[in-house]
Formats: sequence, structure tokens, C-alpha cells
Amino acid sequence: MEANNWTNDILNSSNGITKVTPDVLLFSKIQNRISIQNTVSNQWIWIAAASFTILVSLNVKMLLSNTTKTIVPTETIVSSVSNSNQLY
Amino acid sequence: MATNKSDFTTLYNEYSVLVYNVALNYLQNVEDAEEITQDVFIQLHTSLHKFQEKSTLKTWIYRITINKSLDFIKHKNSQKRFFIFGKKSQNELELLNISNFEHPGILLENKEKAALLFGIINELGENQKTAFLLSKVDGLSNPEIAIIMELSISSVESLVFRAKTTLKEKIANKFEEYRKKK
Repeated sequence: MEANNWTNDILNSSNGITKVTPDVLLFSKIQNRISIQNTVSNQWIWIAAASFTILVSLNVKMLLSNTTKTIVPTETIVSSVSNSNQLY
Repeated sequence: MATNKSDFTTLYNEYSVLVYNVALNYLQNVEDAEEITQDVFIQLHTSLHKFQEKSTLKTWIYRITINKSLDFIKHKNSQKRFFIFGKKSQNELELLNISNFEHPGILLENKEKAALLFGIINELGENQKTAFLLSKVDGLSNPEIAIIMELSISSVESLVFRAKTTLKEKIANKFEEYRKKK
């Protein structure tokens, strides 16, 4: 009997529970998190754009430097041959 | 970002107490409930335009809150399991003390009993816990719970009944312990 009453008391202990109001600063915390989220996403867009530009310019630079490298050796051979005037 | 500032403020004013209290009932920790409330409102801010009005906004918010709370508990439990094998952390005490929680909305004379009740509620399965909390603590009707849980009314009735039976058994098992203390 005592056990039964005690069990029911425990089970009914949540009766009359009142709603709890969250901390007043919670809304500003949420707004802060939203604004941080927005700033971070813009930052990432700029970072991605900058990395892409760097990648493209590096590729262009590499292509240009490769074409000039191939010209240089032929020029030197031709000039050395014409200077000495010897063919064998 | 679909919601403008005044809409979002209205939404917060209307539903913050609901979200916070549901999270508090699940997590039984004020800081964790605040974290879930923040997560829920950030999700609402980003995806309110995706809300298709298949259910009411209130039902949708209930679902988001319950899912986020259950995910949070799963994450916490996995951390708890990790600590058994791994290095002890300062958070471990906090993780183990969950059953000593005193709900701020409970009447003063019921605080001790309710702490025991909430500790035992944590031992229930997810569905039984949800059905019991929404019915007994949140005071929702079975049809309302059925809509939120996307179940039939009879399934909800059965879940609440089984939850009460399991709780009664578990509480009765604690009676001897209580008598010895007395």
C-alpha cells in the first residue's frame, strides 16, 4: 500500500508543472550566431574566388614561361654557330 | 535567408517558450536546452521558406525540437561510452549527473520526487519517452501527439500506457532504496 502510494506520488510529481521562460539574452545570442553564419559564408565565397583567380593566373604564368623556355635554347645554338662560322 | 527581422522576432516571441520547455524536458539541463533552442531557431531562420504547410507551424517546430533533442542525447551518450574507455574529462561529471536535475518549473514540494521521475524517464525508449513527455509533462492530447509523432492515435495511447507501466515498475523497484534512506 505504502509502496503503491509512493509510486503514484512520484508518477504525479510533474502535475502542476509551469512553463519556464528562457534567458532574456537568448534571442541576442541567436541573432549573433545568425550574423556570424552569414559573415562566414561571405568570407568563404571571397576565399574561393581568390583561390580560383590565383590558380588561373599561376596556370597562365606557367604556360607563358614554358613557351619562352623552348625558344631560348634554339636561339643560343643558332647564334653560336653563326659566330664561329664553323660547320664541322 | 527567407525570414525578415520582424517576422523572426515574432516567431521567436511566439514559440521560444515552447521550444525551450520541450528541450528542457528531454535534456534536463538548462544550458543544453538553451543550446537546442538556439539551434532550432537558427534552423527556422534558414529553412522557414521550405515549410510546405503540410502540418501546422507549431507541429513542425515540435518535430524539429524533438529531433534535435534526441540527436543531442545520442551524441552525449556516445561521448559517455567513449569516456568509459578513454581519458576522463571534466564534462564527465556533468554527463553522469543528468538524473539529479531539478526542473525549474516543478512545484517546490515535488522537486525531489520529480528529479527521481525525470531520471527514470531517461531510461525509456525514444518513442515511449516522447509520448509520455508530450502527454504528461507538456499536457498535449493524444490526437495532437499522434500528429507530431506521425502515428495513429491508438499507437500513441499504447505508447503512453506502456510508458506508464514501465515507469511504475521502475519506480516500485526504487521503493526499497527509499525506505532504507527514510
